[in-house]
This record gives sequence, structure tokens and C-alpha cells, in this order.
Amino acid sequence: MRTAQTLLAFLKRDFLIEVSYRTSFLMQAFGILFGVLVWYFVSRVVQAPPTTPGLEGADYFSYVLMGLALLHYQSSALTSFSGKVRGEQMTGTLEAMLVTPTPIGTIVLGSSLWEFLLTSVKVLAYVLIGRLFFGVVIHPAGLLPALLIISLTVLAFSGVGILSAAFVLYLKRGDPITYLVSSASALVGGVFYPPEDMWPWLSGWSRVLPITYALRGLRRALLLDRPFADLLPDIRALLLFVAILLPLGVLAFRVAVRKARQEGSLVQY
Amino acid sequence: MAQPVAILAENLTKTYVKRRSLREVALHPGRRAERVTALSGLSLETRAGEIFGLLGPNGAGKTTFLKILAGLVLPTSGRALVNGIDVAQDESTVKRSIGVVTSDERSFYWRLTGRENLDFFARLYGLGGAGARVASADLLEEMDMGSIADRPFMSYSTGMKQRLAIARALLHDPPVLCMDEPTRSLDPIAAKHMRSFVFDRLSRQRGKTVLLATHNLAEAEEMCSRVVVLDRGRILKQGTVVEITADLPGRDHYMLAVRGLDSPPSDPRWRCTVERQVGGTRHLIAEVNRDGSAFSDLLAAILAARGTIVSCARREPSLQEIFDQMGPDSPEGTG
Repeated sequence: MRTAQTLLAFLKRDFLIEVSYRTSFLMQAFGILFGVLVWYFVSRVVQAPPTTPGLEGADYFSYVLMGLALLHYQSSALTSFSGKVRGEQMTGTLEAMLVTPTPIGTIVLGSSLWEFLLTSVKVLAYVLIGRLFFGVVIHPAGLLPALLIISLTVLAFSGVGILSAAFVLYLKRGDPITYLVSSASALVGGVFYPPEDMWPWLSGWSRVLPITYALRGLRRALLLDRPFADLLPDIRALLLFVAILLPLGVLAFRVAVRKARQEGSLVQY
Repeated sequence: MAQPVAILAENLTKTYVKRRSLREVALHPGRRAERVTALSGLSLETRAGEIFGLLGPNGAGKTTFLKILAGLVLPTSGRALVNGIDVAQDESTVKRSIGVVTSDERSFYWRLTGRENLDFFARLYGLGGAGARVASADLLEEMDMGSIADRPFMSYSTGMKQRLAIARALLHDPPVLCMDEPTRSLDPIAAKHMRSFVFDRLSRQRGKTVLLATHNLAEAEEMCSRVVVLDRGRILKQGTVVEITADLPGRDHYMLAVRGLDSPPSDPRWRCTVERQVGGTRHLIAEVNRDGSAFSDLLAAILAARGTIVSCARREPSLQEIFDQMGPDSPEGTG
């Protein structure tokens, strides 16, 4: 209960800071609208038929819209933890938080919550704009499984994100893993085009990325109205990623905190 | 009856290992990383309700000691206890019983108001919603900040920011306060108010134990019942400021304004320098041996030479002079 209240305090803090930049909300809303428009017109040029391998019967615009939405979640999960740690180190507020009895894990999680909430709003906006103005068909029955898939995806990528925060905390610089995962996800993860359309030696790498399973599951749930049983292989794969990546990230973070306290570099940047 | 021990350091040592650049590692792979000793066998205890001073120049180890107490740094060896609890063993409980005040203005959210900042940190100290709001409001009033509580932090003066830092450290009403140079960037009037607030309100009225790290000897003398003088992580001396300065080898300094004196009297036990002359009054700086009678002999010599002493004041030695006279290799050092 107390942890929940603390996390809410972080949300309130970041909300107040966000609204103090008055044009920020407006600019972000324009960004979403422009993004959807760009991909709408790209899809009109591409005009890939729904029978294209990997599209599984979905039209290209709906396909890429889901890709963009999940890419936002991935980006938040990968960068928000390390970004917040770095930001609070540089603004000098990390030390003030670390001298309180709130555990450092709660501080890092709390600091990232606003980013996730904002991403959720953005994703919802993507889907709504697609549904209302561009005829994207969203199947309501797929909403709950989609939420489960998104949650697992966020948890899996949060493992990598927390690992990145550990790098920032100890080495004072970003880690190469985040960059590699982000780039590889965009290249072979099925965000903008199906991996099936790529050279087999390259598309094979998509199997080691959580976003591949997340996107396939999400599209099958929301766009193709597949039964839950069809989603299970992707959900199992995501669970496996969560089981490996999240403890790895948390463990690395604990080690980094201990090492930084030993070196006295916890609040240095 | 003696007050219970609030802070105890036993043989506390902190050695930092300097991180080597990739170039250094590549060029000299076998070379041992350089080590810097920030604290070396520090042992001290402060009593509940006491204002205890940590005096020393930059790099003396004051901030490292405070950071160990605050749980930001782990000691290499030895231990530190706050109200009997080891900071390395039960960090969370210790953090509930100490408040930390730094002079770093950046430790707040500049776009939030003073009240919003305090509300947020109150939650981090474990206060519930209503409790957080009440604690913030009470402290803002206590710090005379009620009328500016809803202004953005970035619009505050340095003095206001520092008062808010103290309010934040008091949110959870801790028995122990660690203050790292709280008057460093304040003007003399604001610094005086700050000192009297800490001394009268926090120490006298509310019985807080205050650990005060400072460069300022006069501030330590005004506020602290006892101090330790640190240099390079070792205690050079401890006691009251008067005891520390009285025991120093060398000479005391006096500022004298004298009228009707042609030339200052000379004697091997003192040296007088004319600082300036205003009309018929000469302002002298007298360096006098601490041998008991030298100062009264100097005054007698001035009077015997038909001089009139207009004013006389002892000039406290600066911290630097104390270090120069004490020296890090002084036999009084404990390290």
C-alpha cells in the first residue's frame, strides 16, 4: 500500500513537471498525428496485399500501426529507467531521493512510471486515430489478450532497460545492449515489414527478440480476431523472455548499486 | 546524567579506488589502481541533543562521513551507528532517523513549487497523503515560507532554497540532522538566521542532534558544543573550539587601536605591525606569544609609552592557520 502511494507520488510529480511545459502536450499530439499520417501514405504507396507472407491477412497500414504502437512501448521500457537515473543524477535530485528510506528500486520504477503512462496514452491515440479515421478494424475480443501481451512485452524489455540503468549507475554511460536491441528490433522484429519477407539468414535473428512474438500475438489478437489458443505460443515465448531478462536486469542493478556505493559514485555522473 | 550516544563512528575507514581509463589499462595492465583515503580510522561519538562540528578543508573527509551516515557510501572498514543501529546493516531504519541538509540547490525540482517539492519528498519519507500535506504545511510555516510556498522553486532566493532544504530534512521529524555546510552560499544575515534557527529551534527547543560539517571556525564556535578537526580523513584534534584554539602552539593575534604612540614597543615575545593610521589613531596587528604574561606586558608597554588604547580585540585564527599550526603529522592526530 505504501509502495503504491509512493509510486503515485512519482506520477503526480512528473505530471506536474510535464504540464509546467505548456506546449509539450500539444507537440506530442501533433507528433502522433503526423506519424499516423506518414505511415498511412506510405501504406498507400506500398499497397501490399493482405496475402503477403507475414501479414497473415491484415492490411499493411493496420500491420504497421501495431508495429509503431509496440515500438513505443519497447522504446519506453528500454530507455526510461536509464534515462531517469541519468537525468536525476545530473539534476542533483537523485541524492535527495536516495537519502530517504524509499528503496532505490522503487525510486527507479517510480521515476519511469510517467513515461509508461504517457506511452500508453500515445498507443491508445495511435489505435483510436487508426480506428476512427483510417478504417483499421480492431476486434474488441482481442483487447484483454492484447493487454496481457503488452504487459509481458513491457516486463521483458524492462529487464533490458533495468540492465541499461545498471550500466548508467555504475559506468556513467549507456550500454551497447540497448542500442543493439533497439536497432535489431526495428530491423528484423516485424515492426515495419514481416520478417518472412527478409533473407532467411537475417530473418532468423527475429526469433531471439521479444518484439517478434509480441507483435505477432498483438496483431493476431487485435486485427485478426484469433482465438486465445492461437496466441499461446507467443505468450509462452514472452513469458520465457520475462523469466530470463527481468531477474537478470534486477540482479545487475543490485550489483551496480552496491559497487557504486562502495566507490562512492552513486550520485556522480 | 549523560545523554545517550546519537552517532558513533568506530575506526571508520573509507578508501576510494580511482577508476582507470581504458588507455591506462591498455598501456599499464599490471599497474594497481590508485587509492585515495577519504577517512582513516575515524572514531568519534556525539551525544543526543548536541551540535557537533566537523571542521576541515575540502577533502578532509567531512562529506564522506556524512554520506556514510546517509547510506550513500559504504565504509571500507569500521562501522558507523546512528542511535545504536549500524548504517551498513540496517540502512532503512537509519534513514528514518536522520535528515540530510546539503547546500546543493539542485537537489529540488525547479519547476515545482516549494510545497509540491515537500509533498513529494514527504511521500518518500513514508508519510501518507494527509500526513505529508500537514507536515509540509507546518514546516513551511515554521520556516517562514508560508507566503511563498506556492511559488516555483526556481523563483526562490538562495536563502529560501536553503530553508526549504532544512524543511525537507525535518519532514519525518528525525532525531538526527546531518548538515553539510548549510550556510555556504548564504549572505551574512541569512547565515546568522540559519545558525540561530539551528541552535535555538532545532537543538535547544526540539532536542535534535546536529552533525554540522563546516569550513567556518566562527560558525562552529557559535553553534557547536564540540568539534573535531579533520584533515585528509584523520582527526587532528577534538574538543570545544576554545580548547582547540587555546592549545595551539604559536601566537595569538590581536587588533589594537592606539592613540598617542610614536612607535610600537618591541619585544621578542611579540611583533606589532601597523596596519593603517587614521588621524592620530594607529591600528596595529599584534602577534603575541602564548606564555601567559606576554599580552599584559604588551599592553603595559603601550601605556608606559604614553599610548592610549582605544580598542582591543582578539582575532580568532582561521581554519587554515589552525591547520598550519597543527599540521597533519601533529602528534595529536589520531589516525
